[in-house]
Formats: sequence, structure tokens, C-alpha cells
Amino acid sequence: MKKFWGILDNIESYICRTLLAIFVCLLMLQVVVRTLFNFSFSWVEEASIYMFVWFVFFGASYAAKMAAHNRVTFQFKFLPPRAIKYIEAFADLFWVFFNVYFVYLSIDFIFNKMNRFQSSQTMGFHLSWVYIVLPIAFSLMTFRVLQVNYKKIILNEDLRDPDAIDLEEVRAETANSEQGTK
Amino acid sequence: MESQIVLILFGGFLLLLFIGAPITVALGVSTLISFLYLGENPIKFVQIAFTSVGSFPLMALPAFILAGALMEAAGLSRRLINVAESFAGPFTGGMSAATVFACLFFGAISGSGPATTAAVGMLMIPAMIERGYGRSFSSAITASSGGLGIVIPPSIPLIIFGIAALGMPPPPAAVEEFGQFQTVSIPKLFIAGFMPAFLIAGSLLIMNYILAKKHGYKGSSDGWSARHIWCELYRGFWALMAPVVILGGIYSGFFTPTEAAIVAIFYTLIVGAFIYRELSWNKLFTALETTTWLTGRVLLIMFTATVFGRLLVENQIPAVIANGMLSITDNIYIIWTLVIFFLLFVGMFMETLATILILVPVMLPVAYSVGIDPIHFGVVMVCCLGIGFQTPPLGENLFIASGISNISIEKISVAALPFAFINTVAIFIIAFVPEIALWLPRFFGY
Repeated sequence: MKKFWGILDNIESYICRTLLAIFVCLLMLQVVVRTLFNFSFSWVEEASIYMFVWFVFFGASYAAKMAAHNRVTFQFKFLPPRAIKYIEAFADLFWVFFNVYFVYLSIDFIFNKMNRFQSSQTMGFHLSWVYIVLPIAFSLMTFRVLQVNYKKIILNEDLRDPDAIDLEEVRAETANSEQGTK
Repeated sequence: MESQIVLILFGGFLLLLFIGAPITVALGVSTLISFLYLGENPIKFVQIAFTSVGSFPLMALPAFILAGALMEAAGLSRRLINVAESFAGPFTGGMSAATVFACLFFGAISGSGPATTAAVGMLMIPAMIERGYGRSFSSAITASSGGLGIVIPPSIPLIIFGIAALGMPPPPAAVEEFGQFQTVSIPKLFIAGFMPAFLIAGSLLIMNYILAKKHGYKGSSDGWSARHIWCELYRGFWALMAPVVILGGIYSGFFTPTEAAIVAIFYTLIVGAFIYRELSWNKLFTALETTTWLTGRVLLIMFTATVFGRLLVENQIPAVIANGMLSITDNIYIIWTLVIFFLLFVGMFMETLATILILVPVMLPVAYSVGIDPIHFGVVMVCCLGIGFQTPPLGENLFIASGISNISIEKISVAALPFAFINTVAIFIIAFVPEIALWLPRFFGY
């Protein structure tokens, strides 16, 4: 059960890693086939672009979960961390509003505004199957924004800055490889 | 009407940034409000979300990020540092010159300034101190060269610039005045980045030599160790071949940049799994995960920056800025000076890729209308933003270097000043002499 929740909590990461691996392999296949047999699959490029779009928006949601989206923070340098938490939570309200409105727009677009004939050129399915990622990923992202703020404010967790480089880790790795090569 | 839109768009954007909203949210929300104010249909947001991201050349971004992450995990990057270190030899300031080269190699692959400083610094700063170099000097040279790599192709900032610039055709008035501009492409930007990158590296080496002479940092007395160099070259052979495969493939026209990055991924997988045997499933999954959030966050900005840019262009705001600038001066050198100082300033506070995405729609049309070549502009822009890593208040490289050498950031900042100065001089030379960036691509017939 715990494992199930672990997977669900990182669902974007699993989706994205799978998509990334698939489109990288597809493109490699295309390169190999083109160089060796001077032949190319017409659907590979289009299919990989659609997978890429899915990858990007789920990836953006995953970045939200990791609190990785860049902010400008130098103006907060002299504020206590508690205050920064609340100010950023207030700023995140705008994010939530934007996402909710965007989800509404994209659902409206997909179900009411899209041309019936707007379909994939090489594979034939309707493009709404690709666009559907937008409402799904942005809803998920909204949930992640709320989740991160809940963790920061209510649970008082200290989220690790994903950009921060752990010097101890680099040091350990450098020492390890020194032993390995010498 | 126009001034109100400028106020809502830029005012809203800056206000949201100030209260700590993520950059992408500040862009998206201020653009959305402007759309609603103008009474335009915001349904465009949905189409742009799809079209701004769904392009084949853009797939080079995750592919190069993944290739870089894998090269680090597979030990290719570290072998490059060892090769550079082995060349230190008997010169005055040889060890610190080797640091500059190590940063060049490593940075070209990793594309991240702080990561370069951490990986190279961890090996080279103690090695320099051991040879009698000053602590603050050793940290300063590493922090200063850590940002270099982002200019060296294959450079991720240049890819981002290329994609952003593709959506910005030159305004007709500028074409009328200055003739046809060359089209922007990623391979062209990659070639154009070469000579400026070496000029900046060269300027660092000169400053390094002067300072090392002054402080009396001599090389090792036993001269070159041919055996040591040969050993490291042999060990690093497959790592040294990686850039040859990537760049050779692109320049010979054999691969597009996206395909070259894909080939680099598989090359690294094979070398890492079967030759160096350092790659594990765990490391592979971590590399995939890092690529996921890095790409997701940058390309979400790509989406909001594209709508932001569309709105700017539709309301002719870049033209207003250009006219304002031209009313002050039409001297191209003064304009370049203003542009460079502005970029250096912004680079101090904001993340590089986000800065490029926001500033291209604002500044590229302005550059066009004063007759600046887009390729030249892109190279100068990326060079300027690379310096932001080594300057306070947010110079991440300084923090990393200080963490390794255990001396205060203030001391490192002071020691880094001469390097920042000479880098700026080099950037001015690159800006004032367009041929430095433009000659090589033309020579190769791009």
C-alpha cells in the first residue's frame, strides 16, 4: 500500500521517464534506419513530438512538486524564513488562479472550439488526444502547488532546493573515483 | 492605449516577480491580464501552449541535458578534468590555467555553471593550494571560469536563444534599412560561439598569467610528465571523442542538433556501461529524472514567454523601445554598451535560460532595428549572462567555491574582480567586432 502511494506521489516522474526513454529510442531508431538503409518512418517524428509535449507539461508539474520553478529571491535576503514562506504562498495564489483559468480554457478549446478535421497527419487520430494533456497536467500542477505549500506551512517541512549542489556528495564522489583510478 | 498596456504588462510582471512568484507565473499572469484588458480572446494561450513546445529542434534541449547528465554519471566528464590537469606542467600559473581548460571541457558538457565549479573545484582547488597558490586566488579562478562552458557548443543557452529567435522575424522596416538579415539556426549559433568562447577563455588565461607572475606561482620543477599526459589521454580517449562525435556530426551536416544529441546519449550509454563500467541502472534513472524537471521548468517558461512575446510584438512595443533608444543615440557602440551593461545587470539576478526567453522578444527586434545581426546578438547575450555566475550578490559559483576552499565569499569576490573585468573587456571586443562571431559560420558556408 505504501509503495502504491509512493508511485502515485511521483506519478509525473514515472510518466515522464517512460516518455523520455521512448522518444529518445524512437529517434535513435530513425537515425540508424536512415544511415544504414536510407529509409525513414514517416510517423516517428510526429509521434515523438507529441510524446515530447506530454513529457514537457508533466515535467512542469513534477518541477512544481519539487518546488523547482525559478523565482527571483534576492529581495527577501533580510526577511526571516517564516515571512518568506507566507509571501511566496500568497504569490502562489496567482499561480493557482492562472492554472484554473487555463484548465477551463483548454477544456473549452478541446471540446467546443477544435475543428473536427484537425487530426494527426501521419497517424490519423484526432489532435484532441494530444491536447488533452493540457487540462490534465495543469490540474495536476495546481494540486502540486497546493501540496508544496501545505508541506511548507502546515507540516513545517523544509523542502530541499533541487538546484542546490550538495558539496559533501561531490566530495565523496571525487574521493571515490580517485581511489578507483589510482 | 499603448502606454497602459506597457504598464500592465511590465508593471504586473515586475510586481509578481517582486512578491516571489515563479518567473513563469509572473509572465503568464501579466500577459493574461493584458489579454483580458485588450479584450482579446485568451483561447490563444491553449494553441500557443502546444505550438511553442511541440517543435522538433526544441527536442535538442532535453536530449542534450540528458546526454550531459549521463556523461557525468558515466565518468566521462571527470576524465576530461584529469586530462586538463595533466597538462599543467612547468608553466607559471600552469595549474590555474589547467583549471580554466577543465572548466571549458566540463562546462561544455554539463551546461551548468555551478555544477562545473563544484566538480572542477573539488579536484583543482585543493591541487592548486597544495602547489602553493593562494586560497582566494584558486577559488576566484575556478568561480570565474565555471560560467565559461555555457558559451561553448553544444550550448543549451544557445539552443534556447535559437528557438526563441526563430519565432521573431526581423521587422520589415529594419529589412528595408539594412537589407536582408541572415536566418537563425542552431548549428550556425554553435559555430558562431566558438571564437568568442576562446577569446573569453584567452582573456582569463592572460589575466591568470599576469596574476600568477605577480604572486610567484611557479609550475612544478620536474617539467612535463609525458608519461602522465599519455596515461590520462589514453584513459580519457572515449570521453574526448564525445565532442568530436557531436560537433563533427552537426557540422558535417550528417545530423541535426537534435539527432546529434540523441546519438551522444547512446554513445555515452555504451561507453559508460561497457567500457568505463561506471553506469548503473540507478544512475540512469536519476539522469532521466533530472532531465524531466529541468526541461519541464524551462519549457513552461518557453510557453508563457511566447505568449508574452506575441503580445509585445502585436502591440509594437519593441518598436517603441527601439525608437526611444534611437532618440537618445544612434551610435551603435553606445547602444552595445547599454545592452551589455543591462544584460550583465539582469544576469546577476535571474536564471540564465529564463532571462534569455524573456529578453529575446523584447530586445531582438530592437537589435534588428539598429542593424545588429541576430547571430552576433545571440552570442554576445549568452556571453554576458555567463558572467552573472561569478558576480555578487547571486553568483552561485562564488558560493560553491567558498564552500570548497572554506574562505569567505567577500574575499573570493575581491579576488575575482580582475577576472570579471577582463571578461567584460573581452565581451566588448566581441560586440564591437562582429567578425569574431560571424567569420567562422560564413567560412563554413552557413
